[in-house]
Amino acid sequence: MKKREVDLRTAGKTIINQLGVVLRTGHLHDIDNVAVIDAIEKFLNLLNPITEAEGSLRIDLVGEFFYINDSRVRYPLEYMLNFDYLLREFQKRELGTVIFESQLRIDDLKAFLKVFINATYSSTPYEAMETSLESIQNIRIDKLKKIKEDGDIDQRRIVKKTYFNAVSFTEGVMNKLKAGEKVNMKVAKRVVESMVDLILSEEQLLVGMTAIKDYDEYTYHHSVNVSVLSIAIGQKIGLSRKALTELGLVALFHDIGKMEIPKEILNKPTAFTEEEWRVIKRHPYWGACTILKLKGIDRTSIRSAVVAFEHHLNYDYSGYPKVRYPIRLDFYSRILTIADQYDAMTSSRVYARVPLAPDRALSIMMERAGTQLDPILSKFFVNMVGVYPVGSLVLLDTREMGLVYECNPLFADRPRVMIIVDSTGKKAAGFITDLTEKDSAGKYLKSIIKTLDPNKYRINLAEYLL
Amino acid sequence: MTLALDVKDTIQELIKAKKNIRIYPENNPVYARTINNVYSRMTTILDSSGSLSLKIKQHDIFFEGETVYHSDEKDENLALFFFKDGIRELTFNRGLSKNEMEDFLRILSVDFEREVLDDDIVTLMWEKDFQFIHYIVDDSILLEDETYEERAIEEARKASNNNEGILNAYEDAFGLEKESGLNVVPITDEDLKNIILEIENDPQDKSITMIHLLFEMLSYAEGMGEYKELTGFISSTLEFAINLGNLEAAVYTLKKIEHSAAEDIYGKDAYVCLKELKNFINSARFVKLLGEILDEGAEFNEELLYEFASLLDKRAIPSFIHILGELRNAPARKAIISILSELGKKDIPSIAKGLHDRRWYVVRNIICILRQIGDTSAAEYLTRAVRHPDRRVKKEAIRTLGVMGTGSVLPVLKDCMSDTDELVRLAAVRAIGLIGTPVSKKIILDRITARDFRNKSYNEKKEFYEIIAKWKDSDVISLLIRNLKRKTLFKRAKNLEIRAAAAHGLGIIGTEEALENLMKLQNSKNKLLRENVQLAIKRITDEKERS
Repeated sequence: MKKREVDLRTAGKTIINQLGVVLRTGHLHDIDNVAVIDAIEKFLNLLNPITEAEGSLRIDLVGEFFYINDSRVRYPLEYMLNFDYLLREFQKRELGTVIFESQLRIDDLKAFLKVFINATYSSTPYEAMETSLESIQNIRIDKLKKIKEDGDIDQRRIVKKTYFNAVSFTEGVMNKLKAGEKVNMKVAKRVVESMVDLILSEEQLLVGMTAIKDYDEYTYHHSVNVSVLSIAIGQKIGLSRKALTELGLVALFHDIGKMEIPKEILNKPTAFTEEEWRVIKRHPYWGACTILKLKGIDRTSIRSAVVAFEHHLNYDYSGYPKVRYPIRLDFYSRILTIADQYDAMTSSRVYARVPLAPDRALSIMMERAGTQLDPILSKFFVNMVGVYPVGSLVLLDTREMGLVYECNPLFADRPRVMIIVDSTGKKAAGFITDLTEKDSAGKYLKSIIKTLDPNKYRINLAEYLL
Repeated sequence: MTLALDVKDTIQELIKAKKNIRIYPENNPVYARTINNVYSRMTTILDSSGSLSLKIKQHDIFFEGETVYHSDEKDENLALFFFKDGIRELTFNRGLSKNEMEDFLRILSVDFEREVLDDDIVTLMWEKDFQFIHYIVDDSILLEDETYEERAIEEARKASNNNEGILNAYEDAFGLEKESGLNVVPITDEDLKNIILEIENDPQDKSITMIHLLFEMLSYAEGMGEYKELTGFISSTLEFAINLGNLEAAVYTLKKIEHSAAEDIYGKDAYVCLKELKNFINSARFVKLLGEILDEGAEFNEELLYEFASLLDKRAIPSFIHILGELRNAPARKAIISILSELGKKDIPSIAKGLHDRRWYVVRNIICILRQIGDTSAAEYLTRAVRHPDRRVKKEAIRTLGVMGTGSVLPVLKDCMSDTDELVRLAAVRAIGLIGTPVSKKIILDRITARDFRNKSYNEKKEFYEIIAKWKDSDVISLLIRNLKRKTLFKRAKNLEIRAAAAHGLGIIGTEEALENLMKLQNSKNKLLRENVQLAIKRITDEKERS
């Protein structure tokens, strides 16, 4: 029993990957093609020992994640394409569960594959699959379930709590440093671990928290936002949990050097003089020094100091502070620069009162990909925040207006939207609508037709999203 | 027995394990037995009840509402151990593997009071990502300010709320043109490959990057205080790096110091600090650190060691000599010898001071280093080392004098040929042979032809003849042939030894004349002579065939 469960955990990713291979190959070739048969055989070799031992093997899709017999499957980056493919194909068919029972034969899998592929052409793909599969006794399916709203509310509460804990902790760190007191790194790690856990389970909710910018304390929120966004990028590229914690921690302290900038400069509402810019541009230097003094030299402090120094250097070294002998920017610095630029652009700062709309900021960032920003990491970032990031103000084809409440990583143009103006032009109570919902004919009920800049109309996201 | 009693016993096993795992290494049977005991108890409970859930309070652990552990102690209190870091519930589930149990027990055995860790128990458990051990944590202990969330939300909501703005936006929206918007950017296989490579090649140790940036930061430093601070950071980074076995960081730093001085990059004050930094790398403290890490098994390639040594200052020599005697591992000593062999080129007298070390093995290593350096000026020091009381040192010094080969040392070596220790005498004759001057030849010939030569052991005689055979002059050949044929009435056994040794020498010389004479004795009645003659003939004929 014990051995089997351990094996299942490690075998899970291979099974999901191979199922992806089977379906991809089945889409490309005739079902009797040797490549398809080969892929099926490999899949059965993985599957049958488990169904023999466990009785059955159940694959569930919950949100963005696959579970095998109730264990969440974590997959390495090299499997990402097949995982994403499988995720999309399940979503397209509204397929939430597949249960494989007892000893399956090649013919069973071929029949399943045929049903799976044919369902694409149906307007009600799940129902089509369900009917066709009635004749196959040892493969059962279930429909994709929506995540419960009650659970959603609880999760949002946890997300908010974690987010504000992190901000409060960051403020505490800065205050302690100013007072010359010691900072508890154990607590810092715990704070970041909570964020990593949430990114792994509720990525969109936590990333969504970074969209709200109406707080007084820009620096603390910015540090946490950059940390959250960096962890989210790290998660997308397949960093381990431990690495994500390190990345999050490093990001949390990236702007610590700003503490040294006199308040008169930091809060100056008018343009900076050359000398003031010189002072501001020293904060990466101060940041690195503060971190190295903070807890002595170790792996994390070195990485934090490196990133604190490099976070404004830019991918092409066009930023500051200027260096004599450029070396390749640290991997984390390149991740963090993206998160930092996005959050800064979409925030209202003392010296840049009007922030950019999220979609506008993303467009600018894509223009910078390859020059100021790492081109590959930028792609991951844009895909992660979505083409309509949380907080985007959108007009729907139903004449309703709303704020993007939660992105859908699988259907980038179909987020969940909070309706704030109804189709008659009256202010609405803020109910949530999911743009992936379809009518009985398989057509989407609502779609985005235009985006607006919420800042231009001074729309307070906090009122709706918190 | 009730389940609660089983749980109580299991907790007692956990407490025992906490101590045992701290004390015993993994390969100790007690360690393995401890893990087995806890695991066996735990699986018995889990097999019957599916899971075991423990509620944690400051002084108590509860199972199904019943106290299964209580302690009012501040130290060694299992409940408090979990409670202080926020763990409020701990659940073990059926399916728990022995490995997971062991990982858990290892965390349990961490002495957080003594070990300097950035991690608490929750972090350690979180990093393990247990599959069958779950815990509930109260994160409120992390809160800096419990009212923060409430205040922040209130402030944010107060900001710029504007009903009119929303309706204006709605009105404007219909007048706007339809936007194409941003598209999803496809991630290609190539992108994925590159990212995987990035992650795989991202080094764990960033010391060199840090040092590089600290040198960059020197350009921005203002005043002596900041220079000192930055070079201090470099020193600390180096200490950290060397503890990880990263000697490249020291090489990189020394090169950077040299380069920045050559390019005159920084202000005057910076160079004062960089000089101190260089002194630090040459200091006894740094050398000791390097020695410690070498002794723990760190390995560096020869090239890196030589590069490092070439950048060091000669003042580091005494520290290296000192640790040479302290190291326990042969590879570690070898690495230090490599460093000193390079570094010593800068200052032979400093290396030679090591010849006075009280430890014979250090002296022998120093001789070896002097030989590797090959500077003939070291001969002067080595001629004193041949008088060292330890035979091993004497032999090494004699051998080195031979290798370094100047005629001036021959009188000393000649004296060594009279040493009471045969092995020392043999080393001396070999060394003289290696020097290979006419004087060397004369010394050996004189000794071979001396009256008391026949009293030497057969081995020593043979060694002399082997060495003299290197000179293939006619006088040597005729002496050897003469001695091969030599017959005596008295002390015949000793004479036969000389003849056998001469046969051995002639085999090495290998001329036709030598062969002719050897052939005549190939059936000698004396076994020793016969065997040596036959071997010599074989050697000559084999050599002929080869050529």
